[in-house]
Amino acid sequence: MSMFSAPAADAPESSPLPVRKKAVAFPGTTLTEERFFLVLAVFIGIFAGLAVVCFRLSIEWTSIALLGPTPEAHTLRVLLAPALVGLLIAALVIHVFPQVRGSGVNQTKAALYIFNGYIPFRTAVGKFITAALAIGSGQSLGPEDPSLQIGASLAWALGRRMKFSREKVRLLAPVGAAAGLAAAFNAPISAVLFVIEEVIGRWSAGILGSVVLSAISSVVIVRWFLGAQPLFRIPPLTGVHPSELIAYAVLGIAGGLAAAIFASGVAYLRPRLRALPRATLYFQPALAGLIIGLIGYYGAPQIMGAGYQAMDQAMHDQFTWQMLAILAGLKILATTLSFVSGTPGGMFAPTLFIGAMLGGAVGGVERHFYPHLTGTTGTYALVGMGVLFAGFLRAPMTSVFMVLEVSGDYSIIVPVILANAFAYVIARSLQPIPIFDLLTRQDGLELPSLEEQREETILRVEDAMRPPPVPILDSAATVQEANQQIELSPESVFLVRLRPTGWGSIARDSLKRFASEGKMEMTLGSLLPPQRLPYLHPDYPLEMALRHVHQTPLVPVLSRADFLKLEGVVSSDDVLNKYQVPAT
Amino acid sequence: MSRPAVVIAWLTVLAVMGFAAVTRLSNRFNEQQKALARHLYERGLAEQQAGQPEKAVEHFRAALSYDHDNFQYQLSLARALRDTGRTGEAETYLVSLWERSPQDGAVNLALGRLAEREGQLDKTIQYYHNAIYGVWPSDPDQKRFNAWFELIDFLLRQNAKPQAQAELITLSASLPHRPELELRVADLFMRAQDYSNAFLAYQRVLQGDHGEPQALAGAGEAAFHLARYRTAARYLSAAEAQNPEDSQSAQTLEISKTILAVDPFGRGVSAGERLRRIRSIFEEGGKRIDACATSSVNPNPGTNPPAVSPLKANWLDMKKKLARLGPNGESGLADEVMDLILQIEQQTESCGATPQDQALLLLAQNRAGVEQ
Repeated sequence: MSMFSAPAADAPESSPLPVRKKAVAFPGTTLTEERFFLVLAVFIGIFAGLAVVCFRLSIEWTSIALLGPTPEAHTLRVLLAPALVGLLIAALVIHVFPQVRGSGVNQTKAALYIFNGYIPFRTAVGKFITAALAIGSGQSLGPEDPSLQIGASLAWALGRRMKFSREKVRLLAPVGAAAGLAAAFNAPISAVLFVIEEVIGRWSAGILGSVVLSAISSVVIVRWFLGAQPLFRIPPLTGVHPSELIAYAVLGIAGGLAAAIFASGVAYLRPRLRALPRATLYFQPALAGLIIGLIGYYGAPQIMGAGYQAMDQAMHDQFTWQMLAILAGLKILATTLSFVSGTPGGMFAPTLFIGAMLGGAVGGVERHFYPHLTGTTGTYALVGMGVLFAGFLRAPMTSVFMVLEVSGDYSIIVPVILANAFAYVIARSLQPIPIFDLLTRQDGLELPSLEEQREETILRVEDAMRPPPVPILDSAATVQEANQQIELSPESVFLVRLRPTGWGSIARDSLKRFASEGKMEMTLGSLLPPQRLPYLHPDYPLEMALRHVHQTPLVPVLSRADFLKLEGVVSSDDVLNKYQVPAT
Repeated sequence: MSRPAVVIAWLTVLAVMGFAAVTRLSNRFNEQQKALARHLYERGLAEQQAGQPEKAVEHFRAALSYDHDNFQYQLSLARALRDTGRTGEAETYLVSLWERSPQDGAVNLALGRLAEREGQLDKTIQYYHNAIYGVWPSDPDQKRFNAWFELIDFLLRQNAKPQAQAELITLSASLPHRPELELRVADLFMRAQDYSNAFLAYQRVLQGDHGEPQALAGAGEAAFHLARYRTAARYLSAAEAQNPEDSQSAQTLEISKTILAVDPFGRGVSAGERLRRIRSIFEEGGKRIDACATSSVNPNPGTNPPAVSPLKANWLDMKKKLARLGPNGESGLADEVMDLILQIEQQTESCGATPQDQALLLLAQNRAGVEQ
């Protein structure tokens, strides 16, 4: 759809460019489905925002109740709360909400591609309860991915009875997902990008409009209730001298390695733990919680929960680089354990945490050896967040915009892009399958890998087209003239240039027949039917040609600059032959 | 009504209901959070007062995490952070507060102190001025004056005396008649070496309380620095009577009295007495040279021992001249004697100075300006 462009002013009447679908009245009203869906997207955003506000309040309440207002090392509740609550979570996941394991991103993607967007409301309720308990009790997980799934589930619940077309019904989940994620992150642009980049995988005006509307409305709701301040304070950032980009490239490399280690840990442990006897599922979250509790008890309570406060501290130089490196390592361990044990909760916040700590640590080491570097710990931590996001979640666009949106500072875009590119390439070479694709495959599902899709070679019309058959006839020519022109040609079908614009075609047999019927002096224009041939441009995907080649033996391929200039033609055989040969 | 309109109406109703429910929940949550924040803040305050800024930082931070926008918590956290040396983070908080309320006196004062700690002179002065002319919710005058005093103290520590004097003059002009403030201003004038304004300020205090010992001592010191030794002696005597423990005043008084006793140019001193005093001063100068020459140990390590031989030669020359001088001798010779005394006292300063020496030095320096 996005591949269509607006027709030129002199585009032939038979243009295949259905730029805007004809508005179909929604049953019982003049409101089109498209517009009604946009209205619904706003409501989805509002309800998702309200749900996420409640979710965040629940996490806070749980955390205060279980860990105390200021979780401190060497306190018994820090040691025991994650383990004891882990037992409860396991029981809930096994007996009440079996669909709530994991982060929520894969499940939303699976809903989109397998279940026509359907995510049971029960899943949203279960995710809400279990993830709030898990994060609030100190499991090393974040609230963003569950919010995404809660939003998607709410969207389905709201839109299921609306009698939308299948295409729109499928869109409900991503629209809700964007709203949920935007509300959790307080960052609408990143949420929209993530959903489009990782969940939907394609751009179109229709999708973008509804996703943006839902994301914006949910963020407005969250800011209404929880304030507009970001999840962590951004310190004043310093401009980056070009020579310092090397330092950020090193951070990108370190981030790529860390992301690969993190992803490999999850990929290795998850199937093995799930393969253990069913009885162990009751204890896996508790065991993970106990290990996390021990880490917290013995001096690093910062790694518990989502960890936004620790990120804030890291960005304000609260820790030495050694401590930052330790926290990054412990968080990888803790998050891996929490996640593979089947505890519901997200990976976004831990990824940002690891990135911030790693960034701060790498920056600290670099400044130790090269004191002239001007980047503050905050700058490195912020770039580090983007690096892990790009390397671990493999959302390169989102990672860049996320850092810009969170920091509100455009000056660090160059180091962010550079470091993210390094991290992305390194992580991809070490762990070829992105983490979310890997998880869905471990679950026995085969969802489209958007990273793979991005890199697939697209066949275009120009790959299949061939030179037009000569001669090209003109609509002003008479039947007699046309017969004379085609006399020496071996072709059986000829293209006719119509006036003022457009193309038609005529078969050799038809010309002969017109001649035998005594229409020798009549022009081709007067004899041909008024409908123009559909046409293509060379850069169109080849699938576009498939829609037209069955209607006419030859489809003209026209220059975008001059609709009377014929670049070539394609026929049904040309297209099919091309699909059998690898594209060059 | 068409079906979509009904649906939209229903969704609106549901949204309003949801909004109301979440508002209630959120209000309750906020109340609890604020109460918790207040509790943590108070713990932080107690720890700060107990000299535990590190712990205070943790509790202020926790308080702020439960009440994000609280101005007072942010300010206290910033102050505690500054006290623990984390100036960068303190600045982040303070700048954020300043952006919210650029006229706030407390924020500007904290930023001024932070800039002072970081040695940024211009910024310090700018923030202190903002604080002085800023908004203070309670007891604004006292807080403004305190900020002003801090600024002056800072300037004096930076040895920026002209700026300090300018601030002090402005401050004293806007000061209400409160002896404790005037006394403070007078002390600062003294530190700024603006003795005439200091003397006036002390006098203002004494107008309200004639026996205020600190003002008496201060006025005496100021008069002493203005070479008004008679006035100085009067105030210092009164100060000593009020506070016999005040050794500084006692010493200054002694010097003042010595000056008045030996001053050959004093009012009502007869010609014979003047000559006697000049000779006496001259003899003291000779003793000073001898004492310094025979001193085996340089009392001021790190300085070169004075070369006394040329001084002695000059002194002997002068002795011959003085021997020829009759009771009505020319005043020019008296000046020459005083010049020599000044030279002797200055060059033998490293041998250590007795109150007598200090008196002679001052007398020689200020012979024309000594109060008659």
